[in-house]
Amino acid sequence: MYKKIMIPLILISVVYADDDRWVNRGDVAPVKNAVYIKECGSCHFAYQPGLLPQRSWTKMMGNLENHFDSDASLNDATTKYLANYLKANSAEKGIEYKRSRKILQSIRPNETPLRITQTRYFVNKHNEIPKKIITQKEVGSLANCAACHTTADNGSYSERAIKIPNYGAWKDD
Amino acid sequence: MKKYTLAVLLCGIIADAGDFSPSMQNYISTLKSEAKQANSSFVDFDAKRGEQIFTSKHIGKKGDSISCTSCHGSNLTKNGQNATTNKIIKPLAPSVNKSRLTDTKEVQKWLRRNFKDVYNREGTALEKGDVLYYIQSK
Repeated sequence: MYKKIMIPLILISVVYADDDRWVNRGDVAPVKNAVYIKECGSCHFAYQPGLLPQRSWTKMMGNLENHFDSDASLNDATTKYLANYLKANSAEKGIEYKRSRKILQSIRPNETPLRITQTRYFVNKHNEIPKKIITQKEVGSLANCAACHTTADNGSYSERAIKIPNYGAWKDD
Repeated sequence: MKKYTLAVLLCGIIADAGDFSPSMQNYISTLKSEAKQANSSFVDFDAKRGEQIFTSKHIGKKGDSISCTSCHGSNLTKNGQNATTNKIIKPLAPSVNKSRLTDTKEVQKWLRRNFKDVYNREGTALEKGDVLYYIQSK
């Protein structure tokens, strides 16, 4: 009798825990890879791999000599290592994270965006921000996540943690 | 332990004297022989020429007029800022940033990329050596 109840209970709790994790895992998996932080994060914010699909990272890593009009080339071993890291942590690998899932859903199958800022989800989330707030020198462009998202480094982009320089908090409505 | 401390202290003194680290000295030697090969009258690199290379403007990879100082600033003991991304760049001057010009692989990587960004071509051995002398003097 005891066993008969316990087994279904265990099964239910496993399924439930899994479901819970899927819903509440967070925005996007944080970056913990030291090589990625050093090599990519020395020039720009170390964008979480979960912000773009695998095909985007593969395309990007295939042409680091022309990386948004800048030469970001690395030796073959490091390029390969980072390409694998990005592939293993791309948006598809983190659909339990809210932002990864939503960005992914906003990209059409025939699209391979190289800029997170051009994905539909991102555009919709940022299209009400006045241009002068974005172009001010403390921000520069929408690619500068951490300028306003104070917890971006931890993979958290919650509205509560937004603090726009010379402006303050941001409310959607 | 004592020997180790002494070695560390000595390294510190050598670095303060404005000399390159041993691995960097090897790299400088390689650059020197390349420069000599390109021009038999080559004697040594020159920080003054390096300053000119570092501060002069050129049409870079983006097609805009740009110099090394566009991102690194003209005072190498201060932070710079990436002109495209706004990311802060720690000072290049070894006098305030001890890790600069110590890792040969890093140095080669940045020289390759940044000459492409600013000059839209690779730097010559002479140019690289001159720039390294200039940075090392700061």
